[in-house]
Amino acid sequence: MSGIGIRTQLCTPTPASGRSSKFGFSLLAVLLLFLTACANQQQFAVTSAQTISVSSALAADQVLNRHLEAEPRSLDPSLGTAVVDELILEDLFEGLVTVAEDGSTIPGTASSWETSADGKTWTFHIRKDARWSNGAPVTADDFVYAWRRQVDPMTGSQYSQALAPIVNAMDIASGNMPVDKLGVESTGPATLIVHLNAPTPYLLGLLTNMYLLPIYAPAVKQWGNAWTQPGHMISNGAFTLADRVINGHITLLKNPDYWDAEHVHLTKVNYLVVSDFNAAINQYLSGDLDLTDRVPADVKERLQMMLGDQVVISPEFASTYFSFNMTKPPFAGNTKLRQALNIAVDRDVFCKYVRRGIETPAYGIMPPLPGYDPYIPEWAKLSTDDRHALARKLYHEAGYSDRHPLETVLTYPSGGADIRQMMEALSAMWLVNLGAKVQIYNVEFKVLLEMREQKLPVLYWDAWFGDFPDPFTFMQLFQTGNGMNAGAYSNPQYDALIDQASRTNDQAVRFQLFRQAEAILADDTPTVPVYSWASTHLIKPYLKGWKSNVMDRCLSQYMYILAHKES
Amino acid sequence: MLRYAITRILGAIPTLLIIITLSFLLLHAAPGGPFDAEKNIPPAIKANIERMYHLNEPLYKQYLRYLVSIARGDFGPSYQYRDTTVNEIIREGFPIDALIGGLAIGLALLVGVPIGIVAALRRNTVLDYLPMGLSMIGISLPVFVVAPILILIFAVNLHWLPAGGWVSKSPTHVILPAAALAAPYIAYVARLMRGSMVEVLNSPFILMARAKGIPPRLVILRHAIKPALMPLVSFLGPAIAGVITGSIVIETIFGLPGIGRAFVDGALNRDYTLVLGVTILYGALIVAFNLAADLSYSVLDPRVRY
Repeated sequence: MSGIGIRTQLCTPTPASGRSSKFGFSLLAVLLLFLTACANQQQFAVTSAQTISVSSALAADQVLNRHLEAEPRSLDPSLGTAVVDELILEDLFEGLVTVAEDGSTIPGTASSWETSADGKTWTFHIRKDARWSNGAPVTADDFVYAWRRQVDPMTGSQYSQALAPIVNAMDIASGNMPVDKLGVESTGPATLIVHLNAPTPYLLGLLTNMYLLPIYAPAVKQWGNAWTQPGHMISNGAFTLADRVINGHITLLKNPDYWDAEHVHLTKVNYLVVSDFNAAINQYLSGDLDLTDRVPADVKERLQMMLGDQVVISPEFASTYFSFNMTKPPFAGNTKLRQALNIAVDRDVFCKYVRRGIETPAYGIMPPLPGYDPYIPEWAKLSTDDRHALARKLYHEAGYSDRHPLETVLTYPSGGADIRQMMEALSAMWLVNLGAKVQIYNVEFKVLLEMREQKLPVLYWDAWFGDFPDPFTFMQLFQTGNGMNAGAYSNPQYDALIDQASRTNDQAVRFQLFRQAEAILADDTPTVPVYSWASTHLIKPYLKGWKSNVMDRCLSQYMYILAHKES
Repeated sequence: MLRYAITRILGAIPTLLIIITLSFLLLHAAPGGPFDAEKNIPPAIKANIERMYHLNEPLYKQYLRYLVSIARGDFGPSYQYRDTTVNEIIREGFPIDALIGGLAIGLALLVGVPIGIVAALRRNTVLDYLPMGLSMIGISLPVFVVAPILILIFAVNLHWLPAGGWVSKSPTHVILPAAALAAPYIAYVARLMRGSMVEVLNSPFILMARAKGIPPRLVILRHAIKPALMPLVSFLGPAIAGVITGSIVIETIFGLPGIGRAFVDGALNRDYTLVLGVTILYGALIVAFNLAADLSYSVLDPRVRY
């Protein structure tokens, strides 16, 4: 805030300033030009890469300094909403199942489970040696308590809908039923039974989400909302909370009571909240951070030159796309126009030059998922010229031409040069390939959310990060009436396929149904999918135990630091 | 003087009330609410959350509720950081900003004032042109240029100081931010001091003192410096208030947990209570420092009496 105040004060000319000599001024001008040129070229410091010699022995000091791109909204599993919240929470707590080093789902607090024949009842067995950080055993009741609290309207949880597959969850969250009617019960301290509305093959993936972590009831009863503060929090994961400074850092210490503590090497993890990516790169270069999240596209190549394979890029289960408003002209009821805009986008060029090869081109809404074969539309296989010709043909059939071009607005959230370049490139492609005049218009993210809810923008930026590694997390977005379906797309055939897929337990059949649904989506074109995300990290060569995975989740408990020397 | 001070403090209350009212209305008028998110919340659940924070009530009721709460010294819960209250965020963040801002202002005075005096006394010599030329750079270079250059030299290349963060809470973390923040102030103070010193040295009472045969050094120390500080003091009042409530640029570049960043993040996330809390603090500090500046006039200038 005061940055603005300072600048206005500095702009006021001082009485003395008129007296500085001409010589002084020209010298200054040259210096200034030089300095600002430096600053514009590289907001982070470019330096020759340091040579770090790494030995194979463990370092004596097992302290990890990890980057956090934003301050978590809450360290309460029921109140957290953001990716950064989950990053901390999965170090602090362990759910029934957890995320393995490679991102797959493995037993966590539950050592085993079985499913009823109809797939609607799951029984989890809590491991005997699971402990809270105060030594108390973790019981099935801790899960019952946490999940009831999650759907209890009095908790104020924003994402209680994550529990929707559990019997009565949504009725309770809406305040129409008492919390003890939730379809989860304990029969003894080590047995948890979960009743589902339908067989939910992605349940295990869902269970790794922060919303389903256990909570130690006595701590909440003793401290109320302050139970998440250092000194108050009791957790059951590999680490405990030692310190938290809002917008500063979160420090975790190894939890000696964790059942698998012998395999945890790190004694301390410092999460540093650095919201500016260039600042994070600086802190990485100066050695204050060992691991960073997200590298801006415009500096990726320079960093690769400096740091080599310390820049780690790998596919991520997320998509960026542009949604049409299906309730308003010009896109409502004009499938051919939507198809034309979709086909006219040169994704290869976009990914290679605008995104510097970080992400991969997308032709459908689903990002790559190991084991799932996504639907690729026929036009994606055409040559560039044929594809452009097809797009122009559809554009003309939709009633537009060079004399009567499409004039519309693409709304996107403010977010620096990266996103603006993307919008400019897209708009240019539509202009060159079709002759369509698409203006770009940026608004604050919160404003875009409200505009979307009121169905104001006709074409807008959108992105989705899968909650669990299953196509359903993406396919649900286009079901009629889904809360996230802001463009109000609706096709009963599509809805039926998704419903059918959510009632089936056979993974092969489900994936086939999702593929069919994807084909319908590709035809109806409610969106322009552009690229599937990639995670980008800077990782010091002495930090081991990191494995890239599509969910971009890597728990600190698997990481360790090798002895190293910087020179 | 006491009477004057009391009148001014009482006069500040309506000023603050206007600030609170306008900020409250502007914040609530901005599109988007604190609990809007990508994942749409079912309406019944959203209504529940809004009820918890009294956001479902008519605006005038929310406003009155807020006034009662701040009268009790409670700035309310943060909507964005849901485990914490605005009071806690300010209590944690403000000391850091005050420390860095205080150091920066201290540095600016320690370096800027002597440079300005020397430049005024040695007008149109290299001792005037060089520092005044350099100070032009200091004023023109924005903090977001100075700070990365300092980081490049002292953190990335020399490894003497950390590039940011606040983890170890050691004094090394404040050196670079304070220096980067001080740079434009040093320059500004030096120019201000030079300008007013030149003016004072040309005034009749200095001529009188010289004519009386008082040695030049005594003329300057005893008669010239005090009145020459006047413009500096009126600049420092709001400047101190501004600098100790946190610089968003410095905090972002150095990853410092101050309230400047909390304020901007709060505004973007529609954290009404957090933004209001910091605005009130900022307003109160400006009023306080302006008052302090006005009161110090009477100490510095014999012509001013309250």
